[in-house]
Amino acid sequence: MTNRSADDTVSPVVGRPPLVVVFVAIVVIALGELGGAVLSQLRPATARWAAARIAANPQAHGLTGSAEYDDTIRERTVFSVEAGLSFFHTHAEGTGLVLFFAATLVASVVRRRMVRAVLYALLTIGALFPSGYLVYAIAVLQLGRDSGIELAERWVLAPLGSAAIVGLVGLALALGRRGPAPHPTEP
Amino acid sequence: MAALETWRLPPRGVLLAAVLLLVGAEIGGASMARYKLELARWARAGMLAHPAAHGLVGVRDVDERALDEALFRFDAGLRLFHMHAEGMALVVIATTTVAATLARSAAPRRVLILLLTVGGVGYPLGYLIWCALIPAYGVERSKAIAEWLVWIPFGGATIVALLWLAVLTAACMVRR
Repeated sequence: MTNRSADDTVSPVVGRPPLVVVFVAIVVIALGELGGAVLSQLRPATARWAAARIAANPQAHGLTGSAEYDDTIRERTVFSVEAGLSFFHTHAEGTGLVLFFAATLVASVVRRRMVRAVLYALLTIGALFPSGYLVYAIAVLQLGRDSGIELAERWVLAPLGSAAIVGLVGLALALGRRGPAPHPTEP
Repeated sequence: MAALETWRLPPRGVLLAAVLLLVGAEIGGASMARYKLELARWARAGMLAHPAAHGLVGVRDVDERALDEALFRFDAGLRLFHMHAEGMALVVIATTTVAATLARSAAPRRVLILLLTVGGVGYPLGYLIWCALIPAYGVERSKAIAEWLVWIPFGGATIVALLWLAVLTAACMVRR
């Protein structure tokens, strides 16, 4: 296994990232699963709760007292809340896996400890991206549809998504650098 | 020099099950596109053969709306199978790899890997069962059957196993 030629770029082992990274990946996947189950089983209750929150906060949603207009606003806002929860489910399943596999690649191919630490940090922060959709669902109810979406996008989704993108670009650069794969006994 | 910490592979049967699920997902996605019309015709014929299950009353305007709604759900069920099968196959590979590496005792490791595999592979099949039952039993009744036969037991197994795995990972972090 270890008798490799100098130009052998295939690593005989797959490295494991730090446990805290593995823990975050597992928790994000588990929350994604739980979110899907909750969304499926409690959809009517969620819609009722969202409608009650909108009614309790009429100014933020621009309700006018006209039944037809208000119903349209309510339907659009409840739809946005359900979309936020649905996006949380799908993105959490995806980003948990992205963190698991990308961090495993970092552990296996990135030689410098400092670079590995930075990439782990970026990828782990990026894996929290789906939490932005929970913020999205709640902010839409509290601040109104447009303001809520803007808040979630600007302060949560964009920064966390950017961290994931930068981390993945860093990993791509590390993979693109020529050189032999790290030896199994390297720290 | 400290040794590089590495992953341990899960049992080969687990990997085979996950790969077969991936194959099923890909074939399902391809079939949905290639045989879209044939599938819709088959489902529609089944629905017309079971009018009571779909609340068909013999009035064309009313019946067409009910059939369109049921066909939409049938198509959605196939798409959900495709997406969930692809996702869960990867979840099975990732999570059983973690379990195989971090669970020290053999018996809990076997149970954990079994729950993750059976739950992860079984859950997406619920969408296929839902689709297959829609023509004969209607959208809601077939959904209830799939829920109790597949989604709740298999999805429940996956959720329990994932929470167990999260606790196990946290315990390993604390021990170090």
